[in-house]
Amino acid sequence: MSQTTGTAALLRAALRRDRVLLPVWVLALSSMVAVSAAAMEGLYASAADRVIASRVINTSPALVALYGPILNEDSMGELAMSKMTVMYAVFVMGMALVIVRRHTRTEEESGRAELVGTTLVGRAAPLRAALLEGVLASVLVGALGALGNIAFGLEVPGSVAFGLSWVGAGLVGTGIAAVCCQLSASTRTCGGIAMAVIAALFLLRAVGDIGPDALGWLSPLGWGTRLDAWGQTRWWVLVLYLVLAVGLVVLAHVLFGRRDLGSGLLAERAGSPDGRVGTIPGLVWRLNRGLSLWWVVATVLWGALFGSVAPHIGGLFDSPGGREVLEALGGRGKVEEVMLAALMAIMAAFLTGYALQVVVHAGHEETDGRTPAVHAAHGSRAQLFWSVVALAMGGLVVLAVCYAVGSSLGYGSQSGGVWSALREQVPAALVHLPAMWVVAAVAVLAGAVRARWAWLGWVVLGVVVTIGELGPVLKLPGWVVKISPYQHVAAVPVEPVSWPSEAGLVAVAAVLLGGAGWRYRARDLGGLPASRFPRAAGTRLRG
Amino acid sequence: MVAVNHPIEIHGLVKTFGRTRALDGLDLVVEQGQVHGFLGPNGAGKSTTIRAMLGQIGTDAGTVAVFGQDPWKDTVEVHRRLAAVPGEVSLWPNLTGGETIDLLLRLRGIRPDTTRRAELLERFDLDPTKKGRAYSKGNRQKVVLVAAFCAPTDLLVLDEPTAGLDPLMEQVFNECLAEHRAQGTTVLLSSHILSEVERLADHVTIIRNGRVVETGTLESLRHLRRHHVRAQVAAELPRDLPGVHDLVQDPDGVTCTVDPEGLPRLLAALQQAGVSALTCTPPSLEELFIDAYREPDPSPTGGRA
Repeated sequence: MSQTTGTAALLRAALRRDRVLLPVWVLALSSMVAVSAAAMEGLYASAADRVIASRVINTSPALVALYGPILNEDSMGELAMSKMTVMYAVFVMGMALVIVRRHTRTEEESGRAELVGTTLVGRAAPLRAALLEGVLASVLVGALGALGNIAFGLEVPGSVAFGLSWVGAGLVGTGIAAVCCQLSASTRTCGGIAMAVIAALFLLRAVGDIGPDALGWLSPLGWGTRLDAWGQTRWWVLVLYLVLAVGLVVLAHVLFGRRDLGSGLLAERAGSPDGRVGTIPGLVWRLNRGLSLWWVVATVLWGALFGSVAPHIGGLFDSPGGREVLEALGGRGKVEEVMLAALMAIMAAFLTGYALQVVVHAGHEETDGRTPAVHAAHGSRAQLFWSVVALAMGGLVVLAVCYAVGSSLGYGSQSGGVWSALREQVPAALVHLPAMWVVAAVAVLAGAVRARWAWLGWVVLGVVVTIGELGPVLKLPGWVVKISPYQHVAAVPVEPVSWPSEAGLVAVAAVLLGGAGWRYRARDLGGLPASRFPRAAGTRLRG
Repeated sequence: MVAVNHPIEIHGLVKTFGRTRALDGLDLVVEQGQVHGFLGPNGAGKSTTIRAMLGQIGTDAGTVAVFGQDPWKDTVEVHRRLAAVPGEVSLWPNLTGGETIDLLLRLRGIRPDTTRRAELLERFDLDPTKKGRAYSKGNRQKVVLVAAFCAPTDLLVLDEPTAGLDPLMEQVFNECLAEHRAQGTTVLLSSHILSEVERLADHVTIIRNGRVVETGTLESLRHLRRHHVRAQVAAELPRDLPGVHDLVQDPDGVTCTVDPEGLPRLLAALQQAGVSALTCTPPSLEELFIDAYREPDPSPTGGRA
């Protein structure tokens, strides 16, 4: 038996497990490309409009830091892909990370890898299968991205080069994930290290794009623009992706060969022999502490970045089509304020993810059997339920304020002063809370009906965000767009606060939470494996 | 109803999951101070019963009372008087064993520094500074056992508590259980390890397909079953002794099984035949258990033996 015996079988099993996850990631990312390509025609039909928009980006260091520079100012494709080339390439890397970690470190931490390892499976086969799925996902997302661009009329060579740059980003992401998953025995730590690496590469590229160009060449995220897909394409840059990815994969294999199954290269630190946590709310906070602190730091930073970008980004929309979009986003007003309000709306949807993570984590606690252990010790379902709800909902309040603070620091330092910005930004952020609570409450309700269903909150978030994004583009009827709770929030401070909407959203969230609390109180607790019971197991296998 | 509230009193308990009847009219009474073995093969409904007792799952019919209270409604009050070891132990990957023990104790309203925590960590040879993910199966089990054993409690609910423990640690477990028993703690010990139950329990309930097939003291259950008899005799034994079965006589001696009521006649016959050596073995729990499963499915009116 060689090291890789069984790779094909494991790959098939992995693809079967990811039959939802993989298509969702690939389609979500590639449809973002298609939507961006489709929207361009209406926004910047003339070359002159495009040059103006591109110059706005190129002359704003903050925007270049976010998107990278635009090399061909009149290129339709390059402007259309300005967000995709660098910023969304990060998400392509994220997809690779999710896939690789899921089938390597997660399996080892859960002990399933050990079980699989007792069969006719080589030592390196699980790693190899995960890598292959990462490669497959990268190729798919790049190919569909290129096809989307071509379908909406962007030029073919540029579309292909862009697609290949995404494939490259995916391959490098796969390699980074494979290396990071060798480092720690903890799935969470491995993911954290990988995300930190990707963030550092993004930062390196941002500095390189603003300042010394050579630094940008050091980051694979800098290669997307340096490839110059829409002009004098440097095809050899694609080789860089390949070389780096292969190098990382080789490194991952070397590291893998030096460790035991289930262990990491970084030694596990001994922890405290006794604990201070002794209440259910305390436990919920303890389990989410690291996650919450990362969210706070990231939110302040993103707020600062968006806040400092806003004064420049307004110029992007300085064309008739652009104004139309702006008005759809946030109504008439000072361009910068409209911009800040629009960015705030994006942030509201993004921050909701925190509450969803908390709720989904609580679902895992239950299905893994730890919530029943806590319940056996204390027994209050009300505390189990409301502690999670309080952290999820209260956390959103804190994060909204954090964003407002960051945004005020970024924006206010350039115009008018931080304090006056804070007075506008804090209420502008807080008005989004009821909408965020509604989406979070849907996740709570799903988890309260069945612990394993909590992830449906992510689906709901995805659907309402998509409706909001596509509504104006596809000219969907008003009532469809209004399904999204985020669409009921006024663009403060450009518009006055809509108190009836706010009250309505709070009422909806309260009803959802009340129903969830009632349901949680009345149902069986614990990760009862449905497969223990013949009928459920049978349907699952046949289905 | 009796005025005294038994620690556990379950009558006619029914629980269905979809079309599966996991518990089908189960009765279980555990009296004060008993160490009650709760036996059954995998999937018989032991863990489901325990989860109903802890108020973690609702029931479709029947009554469940723990110390006279309904665990579904008065969960917190019920749990205040018991310590439980779940059947499947999953620890928090990023909390240490020590943190987990303290958490479980504090949730029960117990201050860890007032308990025998340090002593039990030593006896179970458990390192409390390791993170949950770093423990082996046996060590994970020790974490929850230390949390359950280190403070006095009225009722211990143990769901297959020795799973993954080595024989040395099983010995420590037995000692801990004996200490609690000496203090008057009532114990429900779910298991499928018969020797363990035979050694530790004074009462036994055997269940099958969600119903009780045998219950009583270990002694009374033994009386329901045949003893094994082995003897050396000079003369031939009569073939038709009432209550005597499977009689085989050859030059090595005689072996047979005998119902409790047939024992006096057999002894008389053996004496007449000039017995020179005799061993009489009571039925082991294993035999009771296997017998209970060899019989046809008990009728819906109840499977009490």
